Amino acid sequence: MAEVQINFQDLNIGGKTVKLISFTGQLDETNVDEEAKKIYKVIDEMPNPNLLLDFSELTYINSKAIGYVTDWYSRSAVKNGKIVIAKPQPNILDILKVVGITQIINIFNGIDEAKQVFSGAEEAVPSAKLKTK
Amino acid sequence: MEGNNEPIDAAMQKTASQQNQDPVAPYDTESKSRKAVDKPIKISIIIPTSAYFMSGLRDFTMNIVRNMTGFSEQWAFRFQSVVDELVNNAIEFGSAPGTDVKITFLSQKGKNIEIFVEDTGTGPNKKTAMEMASYVEERKYMDPTKITTIRGRGLSQIVANWTDLLEFKNNPNGGLTVHVAKFLENAEQK
Repeated sequence: MAEVQINFQDLNIGGKTVKLISFTGQLDETNVDEEAKKIYKVIDEMPNPNLLLDFSELTYINSKAIGYVTDWYSRSAVKNGKIVIAKPQPNILDILKVVGITQIINIFNGIDEAKQVFSGAEEAVPSAKLKTK
Repeated sequence: MEGNNEPIDAAMQKTASQQNQDPVAPYDTESKSRKAVDKPIKISIIIPTSAYFMSGLRDFTMNIVRNMTGFSEQWAFRFQSVVDELVNNAIEFGSAPGTDVKITFLSQKGKNIEIFVEDTGTGPNKKTAMEMASYVEERKYMDPTKITTIRGRGLSQIVANWTDLLEFKNNPNGGLTVHVAKFLENAEQK
């Protein structure tokens, strides 16, 4: 069974609360439904859910987990929040690209770069053209 | 690596060694060694209908592609996803708990890789080959930003985009076999 660890940290960026959510391990069929609930809870609790998803230690993601990411994005947007992804490994970026998520969610190759999105300095230029290899 | 890798790896290694056995003679000349290298590799494994085994299967897929096919590291990761998505579909739709899913890897090193995923047709949501083909055809060219469901990206986006052939066959026993193939010369272009 795949294992994943999700850590949450509150950041204050330009007066906004941003939740830094760090994923370590693999998100697959065996754990994604349960783990997704934790993110939904955060989105429900925040008035404006601003989430920075740190994928630097995420080593596998399946299509269902990607589906959840897009759903988190939609739900956050409804509450005037925002979701960005930072530091995906090449294989993770590759799969995010093939399903078209990079057209929806901004992806950055550094945490600091991603933070700028929330600092009011719109628009930090996403590393949209990160190389997959 | 999870602790559940052991039984799968052991089963696979056994099958792999059986496939490569030459009962006539050991590879004692250069030409025979060359012949052994060029021989297609076929490895079949059977797992119970449970996602529990997927992590081990992904690790094994990675090792096969890295070491036995000639495909790049990037494609090894991609085939991990392809196998994962196909087997998850077989578990969700085709094979009931308590039955099996059979996965077969076939590769001519430096040329291609083929993967067959066979379910038992006992699942409560089983689909026919025609239904699956129509499903993929309908969604394959969809604007991915228009897909709003949590499911529905595995076959039509990941598998369809990362393979050169994707076909479905009804089996005589009522199950379904999904067959995918990728040719190395096409992989090098992407």
